[in-house]
Amino acid sequence: MTATASATPAAPLGTAGPAASLARHRTTLLLTGAAVLLVLGSVLVGHGAWPASLTVDLDGPLGDVSDWIIDNRDTHPLFLYFFGHLSNAVVLSVRGVYLVLLAAGWAGVTAAAGLIAWRVAGLRLAVTAVVAFLVCAVLGMWVPTMQTLALMVIAVLASVGLGAVLGLAAGLSDRVFRVLRPVLDTMQVMPAFAYLLPVVLVFGIGVPAAVLATVVYAAPPMARLTALGLRDADAGVMEAAASLGATGRQRLFTARLPLARRELLLGLNQTIMMALSMAVIASVIGAGGLGDRVYQALASVDVGAALAAGIPIVLLAVVLDRVTAAAGHRLGAAPRPGSARLGWAVAAAGTVVAAVVARTVASTGWPDGWTADITRPVNTAVGWMTDHLYSGVPVVGGTADWAGRFTTWVLDPVRDALQWLPWWAVLLLIAVLALLIGTWRTMLTAVLAMAAIGVLDVWDPALDTLSQVLAGVAVTLVAGFAVGIAASRSSRVEALLRPVLDVFQTMPQFVYLIPVVALFGVGRAPAVAAAVIYALPAVVRITTQGMNGVDPVTMESSRSLGATGFQQLLKVQLPLARPALLLAVNQGVVLVLAVVVIGGLVGGGSLGYSAVFGLAQGDLATGLVAGAAIVLLGLMLDRVTQPTRRRSGKGA
Amino acid sequence: MNTPPHVFSVRDLWKVFGPKADRVPGDAELGALDAAELRARTGCTAAVRDVSFDVRKGEVFVVMGLSGSGKSTLVRCLTRLIEPTSGEVTMDGEDVLAMNAGRLRELRRHRASMVFQHFGLLPHRSVLDNVAYGLEIQGMGRAERRERAAGVIAKVGLDGLESRRPGQLSGGQQQRVGLARALAVDPEVLLFDEPFSALDPLIRRDMQEEVVRLHREEGRTMVFITHDLNEALKLGDRIALMRDGRIVQLGTPEEIVGSPADDYVRDFVRDVPREQVVTVRAAMRPADSAESVSGPALAPDATVSEAIEAVVRTGETARVVEGGRCLGVVDHACLLGVVAGVPAVKEAV
Repeated sequence: MTATASATPAAPLGTAGPAASLARHRTTLLLTGAAVLLVLGSVLVGHGAWPASLTVDLDGPLGDVSDWIIDNRDTHPLFLYFFGHLSNAVVLSVRGVYLVLLAAGWAGVTAAAGLIAWRVAGLRLAVTAVVAFLVCAVLGMWVPTMQTLALMVIAVLASVGLGAVLGLAAGLSDRVFRVLRPVLDTMQVMPAFAYLLPVVLVFGIGVPAAVLATVVYAAPPMARLTALGLRDADAGVMEAAASLGATGRQRLFTARLPLARRELLLGLNQTIMMALSMAVIASVIGAGGLGDRVYQALASVDVGAALAAGIPIVLLAVVLDRVTAAAGHRLGAAPRPGSARLGWAVAAAGTVVAAVVARTVASTGWPDGWTADITRPVNTAVGWMTDHLYSGVPVVGGTADWAGRFTTWVLDPVRDALQWLPWWAVLLLIAVLALLIGTWRTMLTAVLAMAAIGVLDVWDPALDTLSQVLAGVAVTLVAGFAVGIAASRSSRVEALLRPVLDVFQTMPQFVYLIPVVALFGVGRAPAVAAAVIYALPAVVRITTQGMNGVDPVTMESSRSLGATGFQQLLKVQLPLARPALLLAVNQGVVLVLAVVVIGGLVGGGSLGYSAVFGLAQGDLATGLVAGAAIVLLGLMLDRVTQPTRRRSGKGA
Repeated sequence: MNTPPHVFSVRDLWKVFGPKADRVPGDAELGALDAAELRARTGCTAAVRDVSFDVRKGEVFVVMGLSGSGKSTLVRCLTRLIEPTSGEVTMDGEDVLAMNAGRLRELRRHRASMVFQHFGLLPHRSVLDNVAYGLEIQGMGRAERRERAAGVIAKVGLDGLESRRPGQLSGGQQQRVGLARALAVDPEVLLFDEPFSALDPLIRRDMQEEVVRLHREEGRTMVFITHDLNEALKLGDRIALMRDGRIVQLGTPEEIVGSPADDYVRDFVRDVPREQVVTVRAAMRPADSAESVSGPALAPDATVSEAIEAVVRTGETARVVEGGRCLGVVDHACLLGVVAGVPAVKEAV
């Protein structure tokens, strides 16, 4: 009896086909295969970095292309009749908006911001908006703020237009969607820095290049969300519209588009935030405005000046994000009593009155006496910090000591190890990792991308950047998972964290460089630190959401079985939250890379530096190769850590 | 022979989903397969198989079946929200399947409107604008359509809620909006696709009574899809019972309950309170001379349960009277026979 009973459950295991057993032992098989290849490779191929015979020197041809473009920019019809007009139109419209903003004066712009925020998002955000703009003015940053705002207005309008058109096409046509979706997905994970070089190649350094880079960077979320929103329209509502005899156009305008308005507004929000982020970074290619002030200040390690320009960036980001987000939340609620048109008329009238009054009473400019110079006190504080906190603090050591130790004990060994590894071993490692987490398809893309980096002859700098990314990701994940799990287990921690995360997630990447330079000086460690700070909020948030997303019934049943809190965490929550945790890894990697690359501006070296150097020196060939390598590195890292998107995407 | 004209006439209708679906209807061998075999052989699913029926003007025609029986697909084929694979659908003698896009839109705009199980309301519009939506699609001006919509809203009992959003309404209220939207265009036929399945039992009963009331007041033709037998019996003048895409029985509620066509139908109607469906015309026996002059009088289409009440109250055999003529009588035995589901034994009287 007992023998039969115990034999029965074993039977299915025995009868399982070879395919099933293959799947079960996949990990073992992969690791064994990798080990065999490792031994074979070391015997047959040998040691060393990417072989010179396998590289392609692009400096020459790229230099030629760049020279040809510079020579022909004023004569070739393509430039005369297309890029030229485009460029002029951009310059003119940015200039136009800028002049309007200046003419409205600080009072007019502040009033307009407050009134728009009031109409869209209510009184509290109106006050926030007004205060934010006044602070910008008090800091003496009115003019650069207006420059950035003018560039933003044009870039956002263009991004939204372009994104909406693409999204509409992809939302209504399956074929367009199939083509566009992977492109948009990939564009979304590209570091902002990579977009700068191609536009500079065509347009040269200046406002047009900055605007176009911003548009290319900021349009994808709009397109993506528009497409998704249109495709997700409630089938029941669409059928009801059809049953009433609506034409295709009526269905689109009265049902499908209004049903997608939440996604459309979310797209607008994301586009604005990405445009701001890029408009600041694009100071490297001549965007001017606030970003330029930060860039110049960082170049001379003038933390005070950088902060004076950085604060307006953060304020702008917070106001823009909150107002557009609030517009999204208000959807679906009943309209407030009173005519909407009347409210907007009041807002417009208020703006005009404020502008005119301020103009007649004083000049349009912000009065000089009202500015507060924070540069000097901040620099004094930073100087004090440099003197007292950099090193030699008893017990804990100084910040510079930390940075130095992090470089010596973490960054250097990782970099050296990566560069010491034979090139084929690196590829093998990537392949095994990608196969373990994803599919053979993601593995192929990742390996090919890494191999392309070798072919471009930037193997060593790329591995340097990779080492910074790995170190940054490791720190981010350890801290992020810990904080995320803590937040998911205590609502008090979550309540404390939420506003902090909200602010951190809205700040443009560039801004993170300012505090780390103040704390750690320049070098690779501060670049990694900035990357960690930038990536941490997203990782924390995804972790918390994943842990909280675990089915409460499952949690309750495990509790009813007498599981301790720790057992629950280990045996129920973490395994069930696995997809979210993997997503957190993926996001962490992508975000860390984006900032590590920008860290080239503060001594991060490697690819980011090559890109900046290429831009600064007009050596576009070097810059473009570095930019391409950044893209490839981003692609490789994304694909290696991209586990479930394709599988779960099937159902969606 | 003076039956009212047919609004919808459906002949040999097939709807097959899947690759090369149009080979299935013509093929007698494939058509005979059951659902699983058909899927295995062709990868197709036949949702509607060879269905024919007529909807008479002014009647409530109920299509009843369990989920997956093809009833929702069938009603969508009537206005080509789902394109039939083969067969014939005519409305007022006009071939629906031959209509071009413009003519079909006209049909949907003016002649047949539908009420959906999940309402299909536009969440961003007020109740008033949702009800006016069909008129807006017809191209009616804002003021006129709002006025018309306000009238319909009053008719379905939603006064005072005109400016609410659908999200602020209960399920029953939302379905009233859906009903009002369909009524607003003043269609010749109302199509209901399981309109009350998502509602609570009490609300469902209210809504059923609402439909009965509307039908009594306006006499509009209705095609009503449901999986609820009681709902079908309550609302339907005639019921088509569907199973696996075919109509297994078509008849009045009394015919379905009283003489089920096969074991499936019999099983289906087993728990129905027959006394509420069967009329005394079916339950009566011939009267002898004494009985035909005394006792309470009933109309032939009175239900058995009404007769029971009359018989119990008077203690006499009830007469079935039509036009002053006594057609027969019902006594305890006849009535109990209906309740018990067995024919009364005549000798026992």
